[in-house]
Formats: sequence, C-alpha cells, structure tokens
Amino acid sequence: MIVDINFVGLIIASIMASAVPLILASCGELITERSGVLNLGVEGMMIIGAISGFALMTVTGSLIIAVFGAMLAGVLISTIFAFLTQTLITNHVATGLALTIFGIGISAMIGKNFVGIPGKEFPVLFEGLKDTIPLLSPILFGHSIVFYFAFALPFITSYFLKKTKIGLIVRAVGDSPESASNQGINVRFVRYACILYGGAMCGLAGAYLSMIYTPQWIENMTGGRGWIALALVVFSTWNPIKILIGAMIFGGLTIIQFHMQAIGVRIPVQFLTALPYIVTIIVLVVISRDSRKIRLSTPSSLGKSFHKDN
Amino acid sequence: MNTNLKISNITKIYPGCVANNDVSLEFNSGKIYALLGENGAGKSTLVKILSGVVIPDEGKIYLNKNILKLNSPSDAKKNDIGMVFQHFNLFETLSVFENLIIDSDEQRENLKEKIDTIMKKYNFSVDLDVPVLNLSAGQKQKVEIIRCLIRSPKVLIMDEPTSVLTEQETSELFLSLKKFSEEGILIIYITHKLKEVMQLCDEVAVMRRGKLVSVSQINNENIESLANKMVGQDLKTIKKKKENTSSEQLIKITNLNFTSEDPFETNLVDINFSLNRGECLGIAGISGNGQSELFQVLSGEIISNKNSIEFNKNLIGDLNPQERREYLMAFSPEDRLEQAAIPQMAIFENVALNNFKSSNFFNNGLINESKIKEHSKKIISEFNVNTDNIDLKSQFLSGGNLQKLIIGRELITSPDLLICFNPTWGLDVGAINYIHETLIKINEQNKSIILISTDTDELLKLSDKISVIHRGKLSKIMNAEDVTSEKLGILMGGGN
Repeated sequence: MIVDINFVGLIIASIMASAVPLILASCGELITERSGVLNLGVEGMMIIGAISGFALMTVTGSLIIAVFGAMLAGVLISTIFAFLTQTLITNHVATGLALTIFGIGISAMIGKNFVGIPGKEFPVLFEGLKDTIPLLSPILFGHSIVFYFAFALPFITSYFLKKTKIGLIVRAVGDSPESASNQGINVRFVRYACILYGGAMCGLAGAYLSMIYTPQWIENMTGGRGWIALALVVFSTWNPIKILIGAMIFGGLTIIQFHMQAIGVRIPVQFLTALPYIVTIIVLVVISRDSRKIRLSTPSSLGKSFHKDN
Repeated sequence: MNTNLKISNITKIYPGCVANNDVSLEFNSGKIYALLGENGAGKSTLVKILSGVVIPDEGKIYLNKNILKLNSPSDAKKNDIGMVFQHFNLFETLSVFENLIIDSDEQRENLKEKIDTIMKKYNFSVDLDVPVLNLSAGQKQKVEIIRCLIRSPKVLIMDEPTSVLTEQETSELFLSLKKFSEEGILIIYITHKLKEVMQLCDEVAVMRRGKLVSVSQINNENIESLANKMVGQDLKTIKKKKENTSSEQLIKITNLNFTSEDPFETNLVDINFSLNRGECLGIAGISGNGQSELFQVLSGEIISNKNSIEFNKNLIGDLNPQERREYLMAFSPEDRLEQAAIPQMAIFENVALNNFKSSNFFNNGLINESKIKEHSKKIISEFNVNTDNIDLKSQFLSGGNLQKLIIGRELITSPDLLICFNPTWGLDVGAINYIHETLIKINEQNKSIILISTDTDELLKLSDKISVIHRGKLSKIMNAEDVTSEKLGILMGGGN
C-alpha cells in the first residue's frame, strides 16, 4: 500500500488542530490551579467564549474584535467566580460547577439567534509555503495565529512558572497562602489575576472552536472538552509540557477513531469513542508516576479557601 | 549602631478575649530579651503585631524614637524587623533558593553571594537547590533565619523556636543567637520554656492573660520564681508518695516482637516486662527509638501474637484497641490532634468516639446526644477543662485543655491501666502540673500506668519503675529510686 506522505502530514495537522482548544484551556486552568484555586467552570467559560466570539464576529464583522471579545467574555465570567470564591469565600467546587451550568445555559440562550448562520473564513499564516517540504509543510504552515500561539503556550507557561519571579509568586501562593501572606504577598490579588487569566484562555479556546475549528454555532459545541482540559491538568501533574503530550494523544485518538469508524473497522463504536479518554488518562498516569515529583508540583492549597484574619 | 524598640500601651481585643491588654515594653540592642508566658498569654499576638501580621486596636510602636506604622508584614520588613514564626513560613514545594529569592529584590547572583557569606559566617550548611520539604526542622529554621539575615535586620524575633528542634539543634541555635546579639541585632525570644530563658536571655518579660506582669534581669530570677509569675500562683511541688504497692500482677509482656515493612519505623525486639497494680512504669528514650511502635503494639493499633500480652490473666495480644478497652485498658496517644481527637468534631462527639460498646451512648444505631453531653460535662468539670461549651470543635481547645479532655475521657471509665505517650509534650507549666497530679492520683487508686515519654524529669518524678528503649530494645527494668538522669542519659545513648 502506498501512503501519500502529504496525507500523513495532513492527518497530523488535523490532530494538532483538534488539540488546540485543549491546550489553551488546560494551560489557562493550570495557572489558576497553581495559585491554589480549583475552577471547575472550564467548560462553562469555553462555551461562553465560543458564543461570544461567534456572535461578535457575526455582528461586527471584525475577527479581531471577536477573538479579543471572546477572551474578555472569559475574563468577565471568571470574574464572577473570582468574586465569589476569593471575596465572598465560597466553596471552589460548588462555585465552579455552577459556573459551568450557567455558561451552558446562557450560551444556549444567546446562541438561539445564531444557529445556522455560516461562519467567516479565518486567515491563515504562511499559506504560500504549504507545498515546499513534503510531510512537514502541512504540519508547519497554513494555520491560524491561534494555532501557533497554542503550541507555543505550554513552553511559555513552563518558562513563566520556572524562571520568572511572578511565576514563583504564583507557585508560592498555591503552596501556602498563609506563608505568602505573611511574606507580604497579596494572596487575593494574585489569585484574582490567575483566575482571570484562566478565564481569558478558556474564552480563547472557545472562540477557536466556533470561529476556526468548526466555524459555526452549535448548541453545547464544546462537547465536554472543558472537562477533558481539567483532567489533563490533573493527570499531567500540573506540568505544561505533559499537557501538550496529553492533548496530542487525545486529539490523535479522536481523529484516528473517526477514520477507523469511516473505514469500517469491526470494533464497537462506543469503544472507539471512549478510547481517547481512556488512553489519554492511562498514558498520563504512566508518565507521571514519580510520587516525589507529584508532591513537588501539586499545589498544596488547591481548592482551599484562604481567608486572611486580622 | 544602637537599636531601641519601644512598644507603648498596646491593646488588641478579639471577640471574647483580650489578647493584649495595655502592654508597654522597651528593648535595646546588644541584649537577648525573653518574652515568657503560658500558651494563650498573648505573646504570639504581641509578636504578630510587631511583625505587621496583626494590627493592634490601640497603642504605638517606636523604633529609635520614630513612630512605626506596621500595617502589613512588608512594613515590618522595610523597617528591618525580622521574624521567625513558630510554624514555619516556608513554601514546602519550592527549593530553598526560591524560598529566599521570593521576597528579595536582588539579582540571582548577588543574592547567592550574600547567602554564601551568611552561611560561612555562621557555619550554616543548607543545600540551596533541594525543595524545603526534604529538610529537617532544624534546617528549615535555618532557612527562615537566613531569610531574615539577608535583609540585615535590626530586630530579630524568634517565636517558640525550639519546639520542633532536637537538643543538638537547640544548642546550635543558641550559639547563633548569641553571635547575632554580639553583632548588635536586638533579639526578642518568645518561649514558655523556663530552662531556655535561664540559659540564653539577659532580660525577661512575663505575660499572663494578655497582661505584662513583670520585667526583670535574669540574674534576679530562677526557674521557680519565673514559673510562679507565669502561672500566677505558687506551684505546688508535686511529689509522689512511695507507698508499698500491691504485688498483684496486672500486665505481662512476653517475647513481644514487631517487624515493620516501613523503613522509617523501628522494629521491636524481644520486649519483656511486667507491671503490678498501682505502679507506674516509665519508658525513657530519645524519640524515634521505637516508642511509637511500642505504643501502637500495646494499644492494639498494631496487632501481635495472642500470647505476647497477658492482661488481667487474659491473653489479648491479638485484640484491637476497641476490644482491649473492653478489658479496661485506656490509651492517650502522642499526637493529640491527629491520633487522639478529631479536630473538626465537637468536644462531645470526640468524647463519644472511644466508647462504642461499654456505654449507653448509642441506642439501636442512633446517637443518644443528651447522654453523651451529660457525660462530657462531667469530664469537663472533673478534669478542669477550661471551657463550658461542649459544642466547641476540639481543634479550638488549647493543647493543655485538649490533653485534659483526652485523659479525662479515658479515665472516666475507670480503667485498670492507662498507657500514655508524651502526655505533656508542648504544654505549659500549669497544664503539666495538672496532668502529673492526675497521673499520681491514678496510681493512688491502685491503677497502673505505662508512661512512654521523652522527658526524663517527668519520668523520674512519676515512675516507680523505669526502663529505657533504644533501637527497639528495652533495657532491664530498674527501680526509680536507683536511677539518676545521668544514668538514663547513658542508657538512652545506647551505653550500659
């Protein structure tokens, strides 16, 4: 059998494209969780980002306004979460779940008027280089700017956490908010900032889905990707590079099982659909077995409210 | 340059408690000051005020005659006040160096150089690249001290610094503190340990119930005078009456062995002893020599061979703690909040927890709350627990009150044998005295005690017989009158 090498390249590119929203949302949530805040509202923030991006694109016609608007929408909805958990000291888990339910509901309501409207074409970069190198060209060139940003993000996140002072402060707050506060760090401010950043990234992930990946609005179109993103953060043991690996495996299996279904492999469809979820988690568990490293990268105060007493 | 720190008329009121009541003090550099008081006397609140963590309701602080406004920890830092907290303020998962750089404005290289100089000067050795959670308590404290020294502080406040240190680490710390003091750093040392005050400090201020009761030169004081000031009443010197104890054997341990799978635990080798009614057997030793394993084997947390423990003529080696209680044994474990009580549960709930069978606390699987509460009130009044709210979560009790509650809970069922492990660890003098009196009373009622403790003074005071545990082996049982603390010291170190 002769396999067209460019076809392989195209498959890899489509795997990468399907990993983009997971990487964006996971890296955002990773920063939030590293500061000790467990925001289970990822799915809700993503879907808000998706509808905001699509609606703004349709109404204003400007892609730039739409993308930044989606991020802003993510920031706004995460501000609700931040206010509740950091200022009113509500429970992280309950508030996050409420955020997801709220997001799905309100996006469906806004989205009613946008069902069936075709999306706009999103500009791609380096399109002229598409046929220059076999195999690599389709992987490297001809993607949206969000795509390139997503694949740079795990490395930026890793550098930020390990090498910069602000990254150190975020980790310190996640490790022990009491100590951080006694050191004169404004814990509430740091946590607000991390929550809002996580919201922005989830908003962007949603916008990627509704504007670039499948340019249209479908109700509930995030389809559980927010939950996968959350799982990736935990099973990668809060390591951005492992998030990248996990997202690629998940994206890869999702695409491959589609193709397997299409060519009629005699495995039950339900099993194939479940495969990406199972394999991703198994792989991440296996590559993150070192208990010492887990202890070092797990934010000790994750999900615990911090209340400064005076 | 001389440093003068003055606090005047500091008052801080918490709901239901006056933590600091009109406290005024003056400190000058070149001396080491002790701030002495029982738990809850207000020492910690005062130093939290000095370090900017807590803002006082009234009063002023002056540094070199200039008024200081301390609204946050960073204000204290800016004004060269360094503070080492009792509970370390470190980030466990960050490396030592990351812990140090986080609140420093210096460049990496400069800071590294500075840390090196400090470590050389004071003979500290801490690996900068390992995460803090891998360090011993003594090393963690050194990191805290280095963090203060980087800022070349004028004032260094140490809050109960020795509570987690070994003796060796304590003497190292004292040497360093004396050196700092010679270099002109004003040192304020907070403690409730009288011996340390006598050893280290030049001047001592005593606090009680939020008020300052005395300020004096250390030369004019001794341990007794300080203890009396601290507690506010003359402490009775407790002495055990040596009565002729009965010869009726209560418990006999024969060839008890325990081999652990955990490399951090100590194996117990051929433990043999017996104890008569009305006697107290003290087991001395440096911590980590098998005490906690011995306690667990005796209490039934670890189950052993049936024949190895004979209690009241029953073979009970294979019974669990609940079943052993049925035979009238009682236990007071070392860690009050982890093992003895559940911190998030109310006092009365904790009282119910060790009385599943032999009580009428439960009817047909339902909790008989009024019975339990009645019983709890009885314990609180009989054992002097200083609260009248039995719905209070046990984590809010002070160490002394919690220990009284735990011992009370065990004793109210009038057991034949109480096994306790470091019952007075971390308590203040008043509470220690009370626990000691209680334990002596038990013996007088012809009941027995096995007292596992790392405090030799306590053992010599309370025991009739003493043995030393070293690397999981028990020395021969000696009569307490024939033992001196020197002799115990030798045995604890593994000598003969």
